[in-house]
Amino acid sequence: MSEFSKALSVSTSGLQAQSSRLRHLSENISNADTPGYRRKTVPFQTAFAAGSGISNVEVGRVSLDDRPLERVFDPSHPMADGSGHYDGSNVDLLIELADAREAQRSYEANLKMFEQARQMSSGLMQLLRR
Amino acid sequence: MFQNLTVFETAYAMAVHAGQKQAVVAQNVANADTPGYVGRDLPSFQEIYAPKEHGATVQRATRPGHVLGAVQQGADGMMTEDRSFAAPDGNTGSIETEMLRATDAKRQHDRSLAIYKSALNIVRSSLGRQ
Repeated sequence: MSEFSKALSVSTSGLQAQSSRLRHLSENISNADTPGYRRKTVPFQTAFAAGSGISNVEVGRVSLDDRPLERVFDPSHPMADGSGHYDGSNVDLLIELADAREAQRSYEANLKMFEQARQMSSGLMQLLRR
Repeated sequence: MFQNLTVFETAYAMAVHAGQKQAVVAQNVANADTPGYVGRDLPSFQEIYAPKEHGATVQRATRPGHVLGAVQQGADGMMTEDRSFAAPDGNTGSIETEMLRATDAKRQHDRSLAIYKSALNIVRSSLGRQ
């Protein structure tokens, strides 16, 4: 495998990881008002590729956030208990939005790396032209 | 005389090094959000490129597949860890630094291709073809 295809493959793995992170983030945001919903967190880990020297990034097991659910006071809610509270979700929109912005930034950085590796290899191909 | 032109060998070695550097930078960018990831870096071309005994220069081979030079150590051995910046989650990569390195790699690659092309033009014109 040449260096350029390694660079392209590791950039692709970064793009995939970031987009799967963004997918789970949007799932969290859309379920921010679902009672009992726990936010999902996406761990990133390094995939060890034997021999190639370049290690891709991959998404590990998605886990649920252990923070306590928010207690919402609404006596008219069908799920409300004796004190008039029910369990909301533990999604903090501010955290999700900041995370989404970071994911977008990393996605763009990976895209830039991909584009640059492509430019370099096409520059190499230009040598064959007269 | 034209069997083994040093300028072509040097330009080739420089382009190979730029490609390796690009792959390492792409790996760092892809792992920019992986907790505990330690960024990798390659020594600069000037440090790697070692003169041969009889005057001509040769690139140090980094793995058995390389044609030029003798293997001194593995590609992983040549990679150095960069711990200049560490986030709270143990990640030492910084996208800004990587962008700078990527631009360096691209410039080095462009430069080596320009040298190669210009040397090729000289050889071509010495053959009397335009």
